[in-house]
Amino acid sequence: MLITHPLLGLRDAQEFTYLGDARLIDRPAPSAPDAEAAFCDYVFLRDNPAGVHRELWYHEHGDRSWLVVTRDTVTHEVLGAELARNVALARTRCSK
Amino acid sequence: MTRLAGGLIDRSQTLNFTFDGQRYHGHAGDTLASALLANGVRLMGRSFKYHRPRGVLSAGSEEPNALVELRTGARREPNTRATTVELFDGLEARSQNRWPSLGFDALAVNDLLSPFFTAGFYYKTFMWPKAFWEKLYEPVIRRAAGLGRLSMQADPDVYDKGFLHCDLLVIGGGAAGLAAALTAARSGARVILADEDFRLGGRLLSETRTLDGAQASDWISALEAEFESLPNIRVMRRTTVFGVYDHGIYGAVESVSDHLPEVSGRVRQTLWRITAKRAVLAAGATERPIAFADNDRPGIMLAGAMRAYANRWAACPSETVAVFTNNDDGHHTARDLAAKGVQIAAVIDARPEAKARGDYRLIAGGMVTGSRGRLGLKSIEVQANGRSESIECGALGVSGGWNPNVHLFSHHRGRPVWNEPLQAFLPGEDGPVGLIPAGAAAGHFSTADALRSGARAAQRAMDELGIAASLPDLPRAEEADYTVAPVFHVPGKKRAWVDFQNDVTVKDIKLAHAENMRPVEHLKRYTTLGMATDQGKTSNVTGLAVMAELTGRSIPKIGTTIFRPPYTPVTLSVLGGGDTGRHFRPRRLTPTHHWAEAQGAVFVEVGQWMRAQYFPRPGETHWRHSVDREARAVRGAVGLCDVTTLGKIDVQGADAGEFLNRLYCNMMATLKVGRVRYGLMLREDGFAYDDGTCARLAEDHCVVTTTTANAGLVYRNMEFARQCLWPELDVQLISTTDAWAQIAVAGPKSRALLARIVDRFDLSNEAFPFMACTELTVCDGLRARLFRISFSGELAYEIAVPARYGHALIERLMELGADLGATPYGTEALGVLRIEKGHAAGPELNGQATALMVGLGSMVSQKKDSVGAVMSRREGLAGDRRRLVGLRPVDPAGNVVSGSHLFAEGAPRKFDTDQGWTTSACYSPHVGSMIGLGFLENGDERLGEVIVAANPLEGESSRLRVVPAHFVDPEGARLRE
Amino acid sequence: MSDLRPITALGAALPRLASFGALEIRENGGLALASMALRRGTVEPTPFGLALPGPGRWIAGQGVAALWTGLDQWMIEAEGRAELDFAAELKQLAPGCSVTEQTDGWVAFEIVSRAGTGPIDALLSKLVNVDLADFGPGCATRTGLEHMSCFVIRRSEAHIAVLGARSSAGSLWHALETAAKRLEER
Repeated sequence: MLITHPLLGLRDAQEFTYLGDARLIDRPAPSAPDAEAAFCDYVFLRDNPAGVHRELWYHEHGDRSWLVVTRDTVTHEVLGAELARNVALARTRCSK
Repeated sequence: MTRLAGGLIDRSQTLNFTFDGQRYHGHAGDTLASALLANGVRLMGRSFKYHRPRGVLSAGSEEPNALVELRTGARREPNTRATTVELFDGLEARSQNRWPSLGFDALAVNDLLSPFFTAGFYYKTFMWPKAFWEKLYEPVIRRAAGLGRLSMQADPDVYDKGFLHCDLLVIGGGAAGLAAALTAARSGARVILADEDFRLGGRLLSETRTLDGAQASDWISALEAEFESLPNIRVMRRTTVFGVYDHGIYGAVESVSDHLPEVSGRVRQTLWRITAKRAVLAAGATERPIAFADNDRPGIMLAGAMRAYANRWAACPSETVAVFTNNDDGHHTARDLAAKGVQIAAVIDARPEAKARGDYRLIAGGMVTGSRGRLGLKSIEVQANGRSESIECGALGVSGGWNPNVHLFSHHRGRPVWNEPLQAFLPGEDGPVGLIPAGAAAGHFSTADALRSGARAAQRAMDELGIAASLPDLPRAEEADYTVAPVFHVPGKKRAWVDFQNDVTVKDIKLAHAENMRPVEHLKRYTTLGMATDQGKTSNVTGLAVMAELTGRSIPKIGTTIFRPPYTPVTLSVLGGGDTGRHFRPRRLTPTHHWAEAQGAVFVEVGQWMRAQYFPRPGETHWRHSVDREARAVRGAVGLCDVTTLGKIDVQGADAGEFLNRLYCNMMATLKVGRVRYGLMLREDGFAYDDGTCARLAEDHCVVTTTTANAGLVYRNMEFARQCLWPELDVQLISTTDAWAQIAVAGPKSRALLARIVDRFDLSNEAFPFMACTELTVCDGLRARLFRISFSGELAYEIAVPARYGHALIERLMELGADLGATPYGTEALGVLRIEKGHAAGPELNGQATALMVGLGSMVSQKKDSVGAVMSRREGLAGDRRRLVGLRPVDPAGNVVSGSHLFAEGAPRKFDTDQGWTTSACYSPHVGSMIGLGFLENGDERLGEVIVAANPLEGESSRLRVVPAHFVDPEGARLRE
Repeated sequence: MSDLRPITALGAALPRLASFGALEIRENGGLALASMALRRGTVEPTPFGLALPGPGRWIAGQGVAALWTGLDQWMIEAEGRAELDFAAELKQLAPGCSVTEQTDGWVAFEIVSRAGTGPIDALLSKLVNVDLADFGPGCATRTGLEHMSCFVIRRSEAHIAVLGARSSAGSLWHALETAAKRLEER
């Protein structure tokens, strides 16, 4: 499989480690009143779509960046990839 | 005369070979199959189930019958198609699946018992009596089952791998493939042309039809010369593209020296990973036979193969041949063989309207209904116009039509589509992205069509890539129409073979139908049709046609199974990529490795690392002698241990402290400059997963250590936290595990020893207390770092220097510490010391333990958030009452076995009475007996109690006393002296 | 100056050197390395006058060079300065950056061809899954090489450098040597 790294272009997927759903970027607020329930969902629950999926890949044998890759889990087509850092920064800006 | 004139063989090179011990000779350019035919050998194997005598059916990699065993000794390899073995001088081959010989095979008795071996027989037979299955039936069946035998020795050959990238991969070097490669190569694109054969040309090599009025081989040679001259095209012969993977990645195996006499150490095969922006599937088409009674005798083969043997290899199975066909192509065989002086007994064409294409007897509207000649064809039975006759011939060429080789096109689950006029499956619309079928593989059967189709496919590919490519001048070639009658089998009572390799007959398909195994997936699995190593290349369509007939539905309604990689069998060794034994995976050596080796250390693999396990001295005959001595040396004097393998991560930045505060469950932001703190990391689900230390060298600079095993994982998690969870923090990370050699100096004399190497540094307890750290120099100016931390429970330090000096440092420490009793110690003693101290490590922090269980519950700070903190407080974890305890055998000579489960005395040994388990165990020189650590239900409230540790797998148990986990210096006075 | 004697990554007194046909592989034991990562709000420095390269690139200066290793992160090379505290020197030139010593974290093998790019390309095609059409002089990447994570730097048409973890120097040498020897065979 090939992943289009936003900075480095097409890279062999074997350079990466796969983590899973990009939802993992949205870590719940630990001080919220329902924190434990929110963390349970965060840690244990996952959507498993047959189709377009946003997921986290770590470029372990590369530039050590985390990427959010949009991939179709049925056809394996990679529709795009962005730096997870940018996705996370956009979140923090939104939540502020 | 079975060797004819002409052909593409080099008669100036005579090659000697043996088959079943008999010596024969052939020529360069022969395959084993063609050479055997030329030597008059028709019998080449025995069928899988019934052990029927078989000859070669085809001339290519689709061969189901002529499977031979090649080479001897450890290189002996089964199940190789004789049709793809390039002959070389000294080749040794043997037939398979027969005993005692090919001519007389005792297991041919299976053929007589065939009514008991029909499809699905194992669901119905060998069932009773029940006890007989394990004792008799299964062992007997197991001995008789399987095809071919392994050498049972390690594969001594050398394999390699490589990576290639191109704009266009052309799969197949026949007419279409050559035209495609030419088109793309001339446009300047990067092209790879791969063909499984040792010559380019595909079917062009087997036909007498001309290109531009000249021999096809002339045109091929001209192309080869042009390809040689162009830097942008790579021609790969003997290379099979066996699989289509995601995103334009193709797997291919190149046979580098299979065709050469053995040379030790030379690469045998190479696995290529080809990344292609586009690819053309010019894989050609495979002929299918027509099934009729006893259609599997040696000498009965595909008509196209018979023609290939005659034209390319100047070989013929018999002086007199016949042809059975349902299309015009079968007639070409008669014509070409007649031109070479072979007697044509008759051409039996199933189509009543057929016309002769030459001067031979034609039986139009005829069918072959039987054959004679068990060890080699003698005659065939023919029925036509109500009459039957027997025709003598030593070989029969059968042509039932052509199947485009769609296999690779369905590797991504694309279904082929039935084409009624061609009576064949063609590639559908949903093939792998970027793969363009061309030529016969796409249903373009005439040479002219194939050439045009290949050129156009390449042009389309180039167009999609934005590269201008013009169609080349293509040679004039034949443009005959292809008309085929839908005759797939001849009805009759006797068995007619469909799948030759798995011995599946029309009768078996009828049985499947009768038992309602009618959908193609059921038909396949119930009869095993198409499940042999040839993936049904010569049988799938015929099987579907028979089932279609039986169910009264059309072939496309029956459907088709699809194909998986590999296209043809690939040896596991080449998939392994080449490195075996010691070089199977990388080895990591510590900076003192060579020194330890010189000391005679015994090493142990710890992941990829080699670590010194213990350092035996002369006279020590058992590892316990060494390990006990090393542990005593540390507690009594001073020991030295290379601990470089523990992960080291450099953490810098304005927010370094805050960042680490969120990763460790305990407070870390408050750590002062010049101090080290023990830290525990939790997973987000609340379980402990790694421990280590954090040393603050400066306000904005910390060095984190991890366990050896988790170094990579912790780093990955830290980067996840840095980039994905808290990207607003100003923190930078980099691994420094390899960069610094780190040596533990542990024991009451450790301060004294270090004082001899540090440059003007105050090591007193006041100036450099327990858990202090500093940057300094040693041995007159070498930069170093010193950490006062202890894994052993003794006064201890860890000294780090740039890795290239680790060797010299340990030599210097040993030299300067000789009078102090300095002793190197390895991982075993390291383990003994930490178990005696009660220090949790990997066996305790195994992913099932919480901070609470390990006795570090109070470490999880309530004052700040960290990964895992919230979940660590959930009921299930907070309510878990298992606690880490020490364990001592009641009988001082008793054993403590790691992994044994703990029970109250007198309790039954069951799941619900299980109270914990032993995590670590060792002999303790300090205590004088075996000791252990373990998790015990309410362990902290049961000190002094006697429990039982059970090891039911080995039928053992022992009585242990529950004690505090710290066997040495529980107050920690030695640490702080 | 300390009298402690260093050893090479391969455990010898002197760096290894071997030839395989047109290829020469030399252990570059004198290469100093330091990682430099930008801190927040810091302007990109130009240590030793180097204009720091972008993703996938390498730039050479006078006895020093820099390769891009990650977002806002570079590895700075200095020929012949492995015995010195190069990181400390770099820290002076890059205030506001996180600088970390890396000299002994890596083993560096310089591979030079006496016959142009052909042997270099052939060697790379056996070792790394890198599109050679995009790997001319000035390119640098980190990728998998025989299960090791390595930097590969195209210093010039006929010269590459392979950097791997120092602890696996032996395995890396074995991989390079085996591939180079096999090229000779053909």
